Order: sequence, then structure tokens, then C-alpha cells
Amino acid sequence: MEYAIQTENLAKTYGKTFKALDGVSLHIKRGEVVGYVGPNGAGKTTTIKILTGLIRPTSGHAYVNGIDVAAKPKDALRSIGALIEVPGVYDYLTPHEVLTYFGRVYGMRRDVIDRRIKETLDLVRLPDWEHKKAGSFSTGMLRRLAIAKAILHKPDILILDEPVLGLDPKGIMEVREMIRQFRAEGMTVFLSSHLLSEVAEVCDSVVFLDKGKVVSTDSMEGIGRRMDHGVVTVRFLRPLFGADIEKIKAIDLIKSVDVKNGTARLHYDGKPESSVQILKTLVSLNLDVVSYAAEGVGLEEYYVSVMSDEKGVN
Amino acid sequence: MATNAVSRRNDLSETWLSLRFELLKHLKRRRLLILVALAVLLPLFPLISRPDTAVEFAGSSLNFISVLIVISAAMFAGDSVCGEFEKKTSLLLFPTPQNRASIFAGKYLAALLCTFLVVTLWYIVLTLETGALYGWGDMPGDMWKSFVTALLFSTAAVGVAFLVSSFFKRSISATILVFLVLMMIMPIGVMIMTLLESEPWFIVTYSANLITTVLGASSRLPMGPHGGDVVKQFTPTLGTGIAVMVTYAVACVAAGMAIAVRKED
Repeated sequence: MEYAIQTENLAKTYGKTFKALDGVSLHIKRGEVVGYVGPNGAGKTTTIKILTGLIRPTSGHAYVNGIDVAAKPKDALRSIGALIEVPGVYDYLTPHEVLTYFGRVYGMRRDVIDRRIKETLDLVRLPDWEHKKAGSFSTGMLRRLAIAKAILHKPDILILDEPVLGLDPKGIMEVREMIRQFRAEGMTVFLSSHLLSEVAEVCDSVVFLDKGKVVSTDSMEGIGRRMDHGVVTVRFLRPLFGADIEKIKAIDLIKSVDVKNGTARLHYDGKPESSVQILKTLVSLNLDVVSYAAEGVGLEEYYVSVMSDEKGVN
Repeated sequence: MATNAVSRRNDLSETWLSLRFELLKHLKRRRLLILVALAVLLPLFPLISRPDTAVEFAGSSLNFISVLIVISAAMFAGDSVCGEFEKKTSLLLFPTPQNRASIFAGKYLAALLCTFLVVTLWYIVLTLETGALYGWGDMPGDMWKSFVTALLFSTAAVGVAFLVSSFFKRSISATILVFLVLMMIMPIGVMIMTLLESEPWFIVTYSANLITTVLGASSRLPMGPHGGDVVKQFTPTLGTGIAVMVTYAVACVAAGMAIAVRKED
């Protein structure tokens, strides 16, 4: 059982023509933190609803830990914790009452439930709200309560659908930190977002989805390489003059140089090894390098470039 | 790897768990308390015009219990299914290792238990009143039959509310329709059929008349000139009435369950 989450040609059609998902195949290994990125309406939530048994696929299969979700939902959902969209809460109940119920649903012992409620509410920073009605909670607090419910039973797999939607910057940072912690604990995390910058902070790899199809899959490292377009910006301690510029131009790996005062933009072949070699040469030439940074296209530009590619790679 | 702290539950224990959670919700929303208060207070109204006999007194009180049963069914079961989808609590509740059928069975049973509690309280208050006013010796002997038929009508009414709730997307629409069906549409159907001199034996609100008729009391207010009836009156037979109520309950719960478990966001 290599994959924690696997889908095979997953399709979901609404009505006769609208294809929310069109043959999506995913292969997510245990312990991976994978981003699922696409514009609104791409089919992210539809995929997640199928993975969590909320809706049935029109065709194809979704597996969790090798168990077909449609065929054996109870078995499949036992090892999943999920935060989907913006779930409602029973606003007349307290976190303690809600989490106690879900703890029992997962067959946890009373003492374990009580301990886990304390632990999870501590983790999501709601320890003082355990016995207060959820109706008085802010959006961020409700989201954190939903995360507490998702992780109460220490799932192997955590599925988070737009977990930072509607949160303030502090809340966003807290959720990111939680995801890093889940990764450190060995959880497989499947994180959907319409923002590449959001998943780039915490994910190992990213699946790009558009119009119900997977358009690209890559590791964050690979994405980083693709974003690197072969230019480094170097800042020197002093302004560069003719002799210094000639020395730089003489470096084999450099194709061209743009100089302005003490800053130079060096064009090269874009390979990481070349970048390292250029830096070493600059230092050996005693050019007093203050900073050295690869330029790249922005995450959002990269995202747009991926999304405009219609080829699909299912 | 994270530790999985999960063990298996069977369908029965899931239903029991869902039932307990629903009861907690009804308590916390104060619906149960409101209906309990009504069940205790409403039977006191016949005291205003005290009839001559214990049977008439019990009958006049029980003429209103079917209204409370309908209110109770609508309040406890009207949003039992659609409320989860409308308020998106389904996104918390369903991605968990439980059969949806067990969840909904628990919801139906919780609504039924609450309605049974309301009905039982009404009969307790009524019995105490009747005993105190007319003496325990004059207590209608068939009061227990009336109580059982009230419970059976509760089972059917909650079933109807459950079915309506599984059809609709909005709680308010479902709740209003439950009231309309059980308090207007069906009684109008009974009235029309009665005027046509055809017994409306298959309409469950007609069967609910057994609640008072088993006592030997009238199931309706007098109509026509000088307070007398001008049309032929029908009285449901015990066997048929029970069969109709049971059939409504079974059919509505089965249909409601079939729709609810397939319902998607």
C-alpha cells in the first residue's frame, strides 16, 4: 500500500454536460504534504468531497490507504481527518460537546477523548473556549475548531480544503505552522488552495488542476527550478568600473552582463551548478560580493503560465 | 506516522450515539423545554369550561393533542435532514466513519422520543386533572388506548416530517410544509371526502381521531345549524386506524431514509 491517497480517472458530471472532474488521477505517498492548486471552480472541492465520501464519482475510483471510498466509506474514512470548505457548527453547543461526540464516533475511550480535546484545543489555540458556545466564535476560531475536529483522532491523512480562507494574516501563519507540525508528525496532508503562494510555504509537491483536469504535477524543488529563468542579481560593495566589468564578462558561464553602479544582472544558462560556479569565481576575483540572488518569475506568474497550458497530464 | 486512535463501531451503536447527540441538540436549542412546557400547560385549558363528565373533559383536552404532536414533529424532525445540509454541518458530520443510515435513524428516533415525552407528559397532566376533578373512579377506562393511538400518530407524524425534511434544502420550507400537510392539506382532504360521504380512512389525520373516539368522546367540534352536524359523520375503526398510522410511519421513514442517505451537497 504505497499511496495514502490515490484516484484513478476520477470523473464527476453534473447534469448531462458539466464535467466538474474529468479523469483526475492522483498518487500521493504516505507522509507527503501535497498542494492541490487551481482556480475557483477547477474541481478541487469536488475531488475532496469524493475522497471523503460526501459525493459519489460518476466514474473512476478514489482510494484512501488502498480502500475504495465509494465501496467501503466507513473503513476509508476511519484514517482521515478533513476540513472541507467552511463547515457549519452547532452554534448552541460547546467545543467540548462537539468534540466529545466526534471522539465517540471514532470509538475513542472517554479518558482519551478528554485528553485529546485538551491537546487539540491547545494546538489550535482555543484552550479557554472549551466550554463556551460556538455561536460566539469568530470566523478564525470556528475554522480552528473545525481543524481540531479534523485532527482529534490523530488521523494518518489530513485533507484540508482552503484552510486559510477568511483568516487574518496571524491566523494564516498559525495554520501554516500547524501544517508543518502535522508533517513533522508524519501525517500525509492534502491541501487544496486557489493560491500557489499558500501551498508553496508548506508543501513538498503541487498538483495543478484546471477545468476538472490535472494540468501539471511537480515538486516544489522542480517548481523552483522552473521559476529560475537564468539571471542572478549581484550587489557589490563598491560601484563597478571598466576593468571589473571586463573580468565578469570573461567568466565562461556568463552570457551577458547589465551593470548599474554597484549592482550587476548576470545572464547564464539557469543551471544551479552554473550559478554556484559563477559565485565562486566572483569571490576568487576579489570583487567583494555583498549579496547574490537568483531572479525568478513570481509564484503567481508561474501559476498563470501553468494554468494557461491546456495540455493536461492525467 | 501519526497514531490512529480509532476503533470500530457497529450500526446499532452508531444509531445510539446519533440519538444521544440529537437529544443533546434538542435540549440545548431549548425546543424540548418549550414543547415540554406546552405539554404541561395546554391540558389545563379545559379547566376554564369544566364539562359534566370525565370522558367529555378528557375528550376536550385531547382534541388539541394532535396539534401539539404536529408542532412537536415539525420542530424536532422538520430540519433533521435538511438542516445539516443547509447549515453545512454535514461537512463536519458525514466525513466520519459512520453509516449515514445510522445517523439518520438516530435523528428520527430522537425526534420520536422527544414527541413521545411531550405526549406522555400531556397524558400524565390530564390523568391527574381528571382524577382530581371527577374522582379516580370516573377515570375513562380506555385512556390507555387513547395514549397508545397518540403515540402511534406521533410515530406517523414524525415520519412525515422526516420525509419532508429529506426532500427539502431549507429547514424553514420543510417545517412550514410539515405544518401545511398535517394541519391543513390532510384535514381539508378529510373534510372534502366527508362531504362527499366517503370515508377518508387512508388519511392519517383522520386516523388520529381515534385519540378521542376510543374514549367515547367526540373527535370534532359541532357543525351546522344549532351546533348539530348536517353531514354524515365517520369514525375510524381501531384496526384500520392503527394500520394506517403504522403504514404512514414505516413508508415515510423508509422513503425519507432512502432519500437522505443519497442526498449530496
